[in-house]
Parts: sequence; C-alpha cells; structure tokens
Amino acid sequence: MAIQTPNGFNLDTSGKRVVVDPLTRIEGHMRCEVNIGPDNIIHNAVSTGTMWRGLEVILKGRDPRDAWAFTQRICGVCTGTHALTSVRAVEDALDIKIPENANSIRNIMQLSLQIHDHLVHFYHLHALDWVNPVNALKADPKATSELQQKVSPKHPKSSPGYFRDVQNRLKRFVESGQLGPFKNGYWDNPAYLLPPEADLMATTHYLEALDFQSQIMKTRVIFGGKDPHPNWIVGGVPCAINVDGVGAVGAINMERLNFVSDVINQTTEFVENVYIPDIIAIGNLYKGWLYGGGLSGKSVLAYGDIPENANDYSAANLLLPQGAVINGNLKEVHPVDLRDPEQIQEFVPHSWYRYPDEKVGLHPWDGITVPHYELGPNAKGTKTNIIELDENAKYSWIKAPRWRGHAMEVGPLARYVVGYASGHKEITEQINATLAALNVPIDALFSTLGRTAARALEAQRCCHLQRHFMDKLIARIKAGDSSTANVERWDPETWPKEAKGVGFSEAPRGALAHWIKIKDTKIDNYQCVVPTTWNGSPRDNEGNIGAFEASLMDTKVERPEEPVEILRTIHSFDPCLACSTH
Amino acid sequence: MTTADQSHAQTQVYVYEGPLRLWHWVNALAILTLCLSGYFIGSPLPTMPGEASEHFLMGYIRFTHFAAAYVLIVAFALRIYWAFVGNDHARQIFLPPIFSAKWWAEVRHEIAWYAFIASEPKKYVGHNPLATLAMHLLFVWGIIFMMITGLALYGEGEGMNSWQYTLFSSWVIPLFGNSQWVHTYHHLGMWVILIFVMVHVYAALREDIMSRQSILSTMITGWRTFKDARPADDDHA
Amino acid sequence: MTETFYEVLRRQGISRRSFLKFCSLTAASLGLGPEFVSTMANALETKPRTPVLWLHGLECTCCSEAFIRSAHPLASDVILSMISLDYDDTIMAAAGHQAEAIVDEIIEKYAGNYILACEGNPPLNEDGMYCIIGGKPYLDQLKKAASNCKAIISWGSCASWGCVQAARPNPTQAVPIHKVIYDKPIIKVPGCPPIPEVMTAIITYIATFEKLPELDRQGRPKMFYSQRIHDKCYRRPHFDAGQFVEQWDDESARKGYCLYKMGCKGPTTYNACSTTRWYGGTSFPIQSGHGCIGCSEDGFWDNGSFYNRLTNINQFGVEANADEIGLATAGVVGAAVAAHAAVSAVKRARTKGGNE
Ligand code: HEM
Ligand code: HEM
Ligand code: NFV
Ligand code: SF4
Ligand code: SF4
Ligand code: F3S
Ligand SMILES: [Mg+2]
Repeated sequence: MAIQTPNGFNLDTSGKRVVVDPLTRIEGHMRCEVNIGPDNIIHNAVSTGTMWRGLEVILKGRDPRDAWAFTQRICGVCTGTHALTSVRAVEDALDIKIPENANSIRNIMQLSLQIHDHLVHFYHLHALDWVNPVNALKADPKATSELQQKVSPKHPKSSPGYFRDVQNRLKRFVESGQLGPFKNGYWDNPAYLLPPEADLMATTHYLEALDFQSQIMKTRVIFGGKDPHPNWIVGGVPCAINVDGVGAVGAINMERLNFVSDVINQTTEFVENVYIPDIIAIGNLYKGWLYGGGLSGKSVLAYGDIPENANDYSAANLLLPQGAVINGNLKEVHPVDLRDPEQIQEFVPHSWYRYPDEKVGLHPWDGITVPHYELGPNAKGTKTNIIELDENAKYSWIKAPRWRGHAMEVGPLARYVVGYASGHKEITEQINATLAALNVPIDALFSTLGRTAARALEAQRCCHLQRHFMDKLIARIKAGDSSTANVERWDPETWPKEAKGVGFSEAPRGALAHWIKIKDTKIDNYQCVVPTTWNGSPRDNEGNIGAFEASLMDTKVERPEEPVEILRTIHSFDPCLACSTH
Repeated sequence: MTTADQSHAQTQVYVYEGPLRLWHWVNALAILTLCLSGYFIGSPLPTMPGEASEHFLMGYIRFTHFAAAYVLIVAFALRIYWAFVGNDHARQIFLPPIFSAKWWAEVRHEIAWYAFIASEPKKYVGHNPLATLAMHLLFVWGIIFMMITGLALYGEGEGMNSWQYTLFSSWVIPLFGNSQWVHTYHHLGMWVILIFVMVHVYAALREDIMSRQSILSTMITGWRTFKDARPADDDHA
Repeated sequence: MTETFYEVLRRQGISRRSFLKFCSLTAASLGLGPEFVSTMANALETKPRTPVLWLHGLECTCCSEAFIRSAHPLASDVILSMISLDYDDTIMAAAGHQAEAIVDEIIEKYAGNYILACEGNPPLNEDGMYCIIGGKPYLDQLKKAASNCKAIISWGSCASWGCVQAARPNPTQAVPIHKVIYDKPIIKVPGCPPIPEVMTAIITYIATFEKLPELDRQGRPKMFYSQRIHDKCYRRPHFDAGQFVEQWDDESARKGYCLYKMGCKGPTTYNACSTTRWYGGTSFPIQSGHGCIGCSEDGFWDNGSFYNRLTNINQFGVEANADEIGLATAGVVGAAVAAHAAVSAVKRARTKGGNE
C-alpha cells in the first residue's frame, strides 16, 4: 500500500481519513486531510489552500509604482513585506538606487514586522496548541509567581496578586459560560502537558502580549503612516527627514526618532523578558514531543534580507542568511540565484491552475496564472461540497514551487538552519545556548518545537538589529545626510521600453520574492512566490510532498477526532493562506 | 413683438430679447472663468514660498470657481424662467423638435452644408436645426451635467448636512462609484464644453460671414439682419 | 459573572462618579431624560456580552490585525469583557467541525441577538469555490450565519466595497456583503484596513448603547465617515495657500506641505484618519509623508495610479487623464476648425469670383 516519495516519505492511504477544515488560528483558509492508522500515527497527509484572489492577474497593466499597494494587500498579517519586496523588484528592474536612510528605515520597518509577527503568532495563534487556559484556573497564583520569577527575573509583572487578578478575571470569564475564542477547544485532551501554574503564566502572557503587540508596530505608523498596510514608495521611503528648521515638526524629527527608539527598547524588553523565557519554559515541558521535523532536516531555503548597506543584495551584505541546504547535508550551503531559470520553478499538476504543458515548471519571470478548479476522479462529495480530496489530481489553490526540483521548507527555522550551516556567529550562538538550556541535541532543532524556538530566537535577534539601524540612521542624520528618496526615475518617461526585475525579502514566514516584467511603463507580468507557497505546496510531478505534508508524517495523535497535534505542527509554520495563493 | 411668421419679407427681425442676451454673455463669462479656475484646481500652480498663512492662492482660485459656479447656476435658473416667458426663440435650445422628421431632414441638410456638399444653407430666423441640436446637447445638458457634478463636489466640502450634499452628493457620488470619478467626469465635462465653445464661436463667425443672416451682432443687439428676402425655413416659427 | 462594561471602566481607573456622569452624558446625547440614567447605568453594569460571529471570506486579515491594535479600548478588553467573540477562525481554539458547530449553536441559541462581523467577501465565480470553508463555498457559511443575526458589520473595504480582489478584472467575481445579503441592517466600516479605534468604537457603541449607529446614505456610520480626510487635514492650510510637495523628499516635503500634487486622495476620501489618526493618535498616512490612497473608498484600486492627481480614463484602448484627452481633442477639433475655415474661405472666394 505504501509508496515512497522521492523526498523520502512513506505514504500510506489506508486507515482512517481525518479532515480538518477549516484549519483555524492561521491566516486565511486551509484544509488538511490525514490518514491515521490503527496505531494512531499519521501515514499520509494532504494540505490544501482553499482560497484564491488572483492578485497576479489583477496586477497586469497597472503602474509598477503602485504594485506595492496591491501586493501589500496579499496579506495583512505579514503586511509590508510584500510591499517592500515589490518596490525592490521595481527598483531592480529600473536600476533605481535608494538612499542609505531609506534602507535603514525600511529595515527598521521590516524588523518590526518580524518581531511583531513572531510574537503574535506564538501567543495568539500557536500558544493554545500547548497551553490550556481552562487548566490555568487550577493554578496557585503564588506558585505561578515563583515560576515567573524563576524563568524571567527581570519581568516586573510577577507578583502573586497580579496572577490572582488575572486568574479571577479568567474565572469570571469562564463562569459566564460565554467562552468566546476558547469555546469548543480540546481542553481535556491528554496532549496538553503543562502544569496549571505554567498554563496560568502563559495565559497571562497571552493577554499581556495582546495588549503590548500594537506598540511594536508604532515604528511603522511613524514611518509609514498606518499599520497594517503602511505606505512605501519606489526609490526610497515617503517620510522626509527634517530635524532642524522650519517645518521640521511635520517631518521625521527628534520627537519621532525618540518615539521609535523608545518602542525599540520596549519591544526588546518584552521579547527578552517574556517571549524568550516562555519558549524555554514551555519547551522544557514539551521536549519529549519532538514530532514535526518534516523537511527541516532535509531541504531548507532562505533568500536573506536586511541589507547592511543600501542597494547591495549580495549574500555577504545581508544580515539574515541566504542559501539552500539539500538532502540534509549541513556541510554544504548552496548559493541561490533568483534570476536563474533552472533554480526556482513553479509546477501545477496538483494545483488548481492550468499550464500549456503541466509536465514542466516555469520560472516566475515566465510564470502564468490561469485558475482551473476541478476535483480528481477519486474525490468524495461534489464540486461544492468536498468530503474528501483526491490528492492524485489537482487539489489546492497553492502552486508547487521547487528549488532545483526540491521541495523546500522556508521560514525562521530554515533561516536558522542555513545560518547554522554557514557558521553564522550570532545565530550559532543563539542555537547552541538554547539547546544547552533545554538540554537537547542538535537534532531536536528539526521539529515542531524547533520551528517555534527558532522564531523566538529570531525575534530577539531582530530587536538588536533594529537598534543597530536606528543608531545608523541617527549617525547619518548627524553627518548631514537626511535624504530619503531617489526620484531620478520616478517619471515613467525615464524608463526603458522593457525591463524586468526581481525583489526578495525574508518575510516572517520565510523566503519571499516577486518577479516583474515592465513593458511600456506598465506591468506586463507579475509573479509572486511566497513563503507559504513553499511550505504549503502540494505534490509535484515527481511525487515530492511539501513541507506541511512532510511535517505531519509519522506523528502520533492522541485522539484522531481532536486534531491538537495536527494544529500544533501546522501552526509551527505560521501558515498564511492568503499569502500562499494570493 | 416681431416674430418670423409675421415678417417673412422683413430684413430685420428682433430675435434675442435683452434678458437672453444678457444671460448669454454672463453665461459665456462664467464658463470661461470656470474653465480657467477649474483647470488650476486640477493642476495647481507651482508652490508658493514662505508660510502658509501668508498665502491663499488655492483658496482664491477655488473661491473664484465657486463664485462663477453660482453665477452660472442662478443665470441658468433665470434662463429657464425666461424660456417660459420669453419669445419662441427663448425656448428653442431647450425643446428641439426631435419627433419631427422634417426637422431631422433639415439637420442633415445643415450637416451637408457644413460638409460642403450642399451649396446653400437654409435660412432661419432662430437657430438652424443643427445648431439647436448641438446647443441642446452640449450647452443645455452640458451645463446641467456640470452643475450637478459640481454641486455634488461642492456638497462634499459643505458637509453631509448641507443641502448640496443632501440633494446632490448623496446620490451623485454612489452613481459614479466614488468622489474621485465625479471629479474626473466633472473635469472631462470642462473639455467637452470648452471644445464645443470653440466650434460654437467658429460656427458663429463663419455663418456671420458665409450665410445670409447676421449672427454675431444678433447676440449683441438682438436683431437678426438678413441679406436677402427669401422666406425663412424655421419650422416652429 | 463576566466583567461588565462598568467593571472594565473601573478596572481602567474610572470612578463611579465619572461612570455615572458618562451615563448621563450618553443619555442626554441619545435624547433621553435624566430618569434613564439609572436604567442605563444598571444595564451597563449587568448586561451579558453580545455574541459575535466574525467570518472571514476572501481577504488579507488586516482588518483583524487592525482590530487587535486598538489602543482604547484594548482588544483584550473588548474580547474578554465587552463582546463574546464566539467564532473567529483567526484566533479561535477550535478547528474543523468543532469550529463549525459553533456557528450552528449561536444562530440557534441567540437567534436575532448576535452580531455578524464580516471581514472579506464572497467570490461568486466557480460556484464560490475560490473561497472554501468546510469543503463548501464561503457564501454558504455567510448566508447561514446571516440568517438569524441582529445586524452585520462589514469590516474593511473588502466586505464594504470589494477591495483588492474585486479590482479589475475581478477574476473571482468577489462581491461585497450587501450584494448577497439583503434583509439585514449592514454597517459598513470601510478602510483597508479601518482605523483600529474606529473598529472597537463601533462594536462597543453597539454593545453599550444597544442600538446601531446612524448611517449615511452609503451605509457608513456618520460618526466616523461623514467627513473627508481633506476636510480635517492638518496640511490643509498649505493646500489653501497653494503650497505643495512637488517631488518626494523635496524642500516642500521636508516642510510638510500639501501632498495634493503627489496624488493625495484626501479630497475624495471619507474616513477619520486626519482626526482620529492611527494607534491612539500616533500618525496617519499624510503625517508620514505619503498621500492618502483613498483606501476607504469604493473602487479605490481602479482610480488610476495612486500618484496621479488626475485619474486616468482607460476607455478606448488608450489611457490618459481628462486634461490629456481634452487637450488632444481640442487640438484635433481646432485643426478641423482651421481646415474647415480654410476650405470655407476658398469656396467663398470662388463663389464670389464666379458671381462677379
Ligand atoms: C463660453 C462661451 C459661450 C457659451 C457657453 C455660449 C453659449 C451659447 C448658447 C447657449 C447660445 C444659444 C442661446 C439661446 O438660444 O438661448 C448661444 C448663442 C449664440 N452665441 Fe454663444 N456662447 C459662448 C460664447 C460665444 C461667443 C464668444 C460668441 C461670439 C463670438 C457667441 C455668439 C453667439 C451667437 C451669435 C449666438 C446666437 C446664435 C444664433 O443666432 O444662431 N457665443 N451661445
Ligand atoms: C462649465 C462649468 C464648469 C467647469 C468647466 C468646471 C470645471 C472644473 C474643473 C476642471 C475642476 C477640477 C476637477 C478636478 O480635476 O478635480 C472643477 C472642480 C470643481 N468644481 Fe467645477 N466646473 C464647472 C462648474 C461647476 C459648478 C456649477 C460647480 C458647483 C458648485 C462646480 C464646483 C466645483 C467643485 C466643488 C470642484 C472641486 C474643487 C476642489 O476639489 O477643490 N463647478 N471644476
Ligand atoms: N507566507 C507568507 Fe506572508 C509572510 N510571512 C509573506 O510573504 O504571511 Ni501572510
Ligand atoms: S479591507 Fe483591506 S485590509 Fe481589510 S481585509 Fe480587505 S484588503 Fe485586507
Ligand atoms: S495633504 Fe491631502 S488631504 Fe491634506 S490638504 Fe493636501 S490634499 Fe488635502
Ligand atoms: S489611505 Fe486610508 S488610512 Fe486613511 S488617510 Fe487615506 S483613508
Ligand atoms: Mg504566484
């Protein structure tokens, strides 16, 4: 019955088919189907993107300078990363160089997103897979306070009275019978392992993080005017700097810079005193549950991001690592070239799209997006009432991107694996310290928990990088440079008749790139290959399964009808379905 | 009052009464002012130096536009009134006889005349049918369109409780989809009217020279003078 | 008992005296006499939370992201104390059929008493299968959830107008909520996304005053959408003075002049940004140097480039703004007039010559 995929997984479609749809606590709409054997182990996994909006179709014929605004609306969670990627693609196509200050401001904004997204993901989208808020009612506030002081001595909110207040509030909430977002959770499932005190501490931080997170994004409100969906421009940033003189009050001035600086400090404190300690504490209690590695120990990909100096997108100048690791060989990090037609290609044999020849993949510059919804012959149900999908046919709105034919995992863990494999000093230190704190071997990294931990470590590192670019920004202003935009090529009349470019970034969920072709000042083709397109990819012609599907394989589930383990592992990728299909 | 049917042989007819002539020139002036100020609302002049409080350029341009707009609106209202109480010519551009086959034939003849196919124009005491049709469509409806869209835009500034908002903005904006499109079509309306004014002035001058009746001076004195005594072809008259 | 509105206020450090003052002001503003103050105070002190089903169609979730960034009230207060957010697939613990069961339960148990909050919109093409929930079209879920609700809140420009997925050529045929649900009051809260504090204000307004806000002709609450960005923009004196940013990062940009020439859509956009601003007043697009792109307006994606003051009209295969079209036409007509005049003159000369 079982077949082996080229990327090394044994698929067995016997057993009970369990469907999770909607798969919640993610961005967008996703469905998951697994086959669970009598041993309660997952032997086959199918993940499906269940939405499509057609941004690539909508972008055709538009002004390339507007593309950031459209692509930004691909996602309001990783908001801004598409916009940044888009202006980079246009700047690449038109050979526009941005000022250093614009680079620093963009980096600060992008780093804010990383930190915010990671934090909100952990507390509000992921924590309930590990933490049981109902169980928190049984906690002793005094013991909770002691636990808090032990795991994070610097966090000021740690008194027994504080935890008692939160617990009382929680109690009133639960007793009201209106459980709100906690309704119908799997609260008596044995998969939850935390003692009540840890549950109370983490639930308290769920609320603290909810109250705090908007603070992080204020940097983007200052530089971009609003958030989600701040404003960007091709050629730099829209916010002018004026720290001294007439009208400075209406620009980025000392007060605004202090504001940003203060936000960076508060953010760093929260990440270091709440987020990181929680990850270590929860990780310690769950370190026996090391499922979910999937592709992370085999094939990972990172494009890199956060250019130290403006306009240099070479790996050496990027502070987030770039490279590919394949076949689990950490000794070799392959260079990645987004322009090479042989490296990145998208396939659609199992996606709801049409290619003239579906046996071949297309490099995104030549990519096409033609929707084509149809269920396979073995699907159960009807066109508008899917009971079970047929994964041997088309089954997802996500395309299947491949790097030199390999299905790849992207994201914080991929970045950390690439960083580790390439001997990146800071990243290696962070990883080693965490492994030591949890007392686990390096292999533990390739797991659901590893993904969750890498995200937290990255958030912490991003805080430090933010400080670095803030200092850099101020140093340049001090040196007399307050330029924020290059307008030489603003006017479309200065553009060549035809041009093409690629822009990339590391979005919170992983490697992101946009490919653009410009013709007669209008967008001729625009293709996005997005982190969750990689991770949520369906199968390809060869039968390789994507990162989501791979990660679920061989996982033991306590109660097949209560999909906590499936949620836990899929959530560890922080899936974004609006992104994946766009 | 001297009207065409009583005086086929006359060489001078009193066509345009005073109020109509006054309206014509007030209207023409208002429209030119609206075009100029409107253009600079759409594409403002280069930036003024110094403090904002020292200048009010954009404010004056907009004020000019709105003042001329109200002149246009009030004059138009009075013109409608005059269409009821004035002579037959006062009604002509409002009520082209579009159900008359003869009239349409004359429109075709007039087109032929302008296309140098017909050798002779017909003779009219009032407007020729083509002029009537063109003026009806482009001046009457053109001005109505500009007034409605203009008042809808004006209502936005006056606020949701204003009569302009209630009577105009509230339905015009959804009709066009959004306020930006109202701007765009109001702006486009300017060009439609401006272009027709070009044609209108040309046609008036040309007819003055080429045809058998006075045109230009008629809009000043009110009297149409004819260069021959042939009976007029006016249908309604 | 759960926390009531009063308890939330108390916890936020508001005294009983100011709470009662709040009640009497509110009563007065609603046109109620002083005898209603104690009734209102009592209601606010004891009322159970209104259930809210928050559905997601085709969207980007930025409206949810905006909502949780509200500075006052904090999203945690809204969710824990003011409403009962029983279904919201972005944050709910349950998944799959346990999640879907909640919709069924609420529409039955709270028939006529729950609020349906819609983020995103349903696609109609491909029988709705561009947005699938539980194996079925999102439209099915939407119609079911709407069937018994008290009112609908259309969050953001997606639910209110269609937004980016409905931009030309709208491949999925995505439509706003009011195009598929006709029999319920719909409160549109447009914006891409709406301002966080506006979102929480509207939901708490309904929960507190137990009535729906007054809407304008297009269904938007007048309290936040009755004026344009331009009407309250702090750069307005520069607009009136004729002082404009002519290019990014020029002297005028550094002095904070008006962004009209950079394509600012403030004059055509109804929203509260220039007054309420974002994140407890931190900033808003214009304050940060970029023009308003009109994100709360119907069809703002299809008004031509965001940087053009004059919208391009894309009608006859060519794309140009009103001035370009007008000037080109005027040129053509002018040339035609000149040619016509020349022919007329020649003809006249000939006839005259012939006659003489
Ligand atoms: C914005 C500029 C103008 C507008 C909107 C305009 C509009 C009009 C309208 C609506 C009529 C018809 C009057 C009626 O029957 O109620 C008319 C007639 C006339 N206009 Fe104008 N006009 C403009 C400029 C001019 C100018 C500059 C001249 C002269 C050079 C002119 C000469 C005439 C004449 C002679 C008539 C009478 C035509 C006839 O007797 O058949 N107009 N115009
Ligand atoms: C022949 C008549 C008119 C012409 C040619 C004209 C022309 C224009 C033009 C070209 C604009 C600029 C549009 C843009 O690009 O946004 C404009 C704006 C405007 N017009 Fe008119 N207009 C006329 C009549 C009116 C009338 C009757 C009103 C009524 C009050 C009016 C009110 C306005 C308003 C409120 C604006 C917008 C001003 C602003 O945005 O600051 N217009 N007009
Ligand atoms: N996948 C994805 Fe995104 C991210 N991070 C973007 O590129 O979330 Ni919406
Ligand atoms: S309205 Fe805008 S912000 Fe809200 S979901 Fe739609 S695209 Fe996102
Ligand atoms: S910046 Fe925009 S909203 Fe503000 S005054 Fe200028 S045009 Fe109006
Ligand atoms: S772009 Fe949107 S956020 Fe406000 S200022 Fe304009 S409505
Ligand atoms: Mg794509």
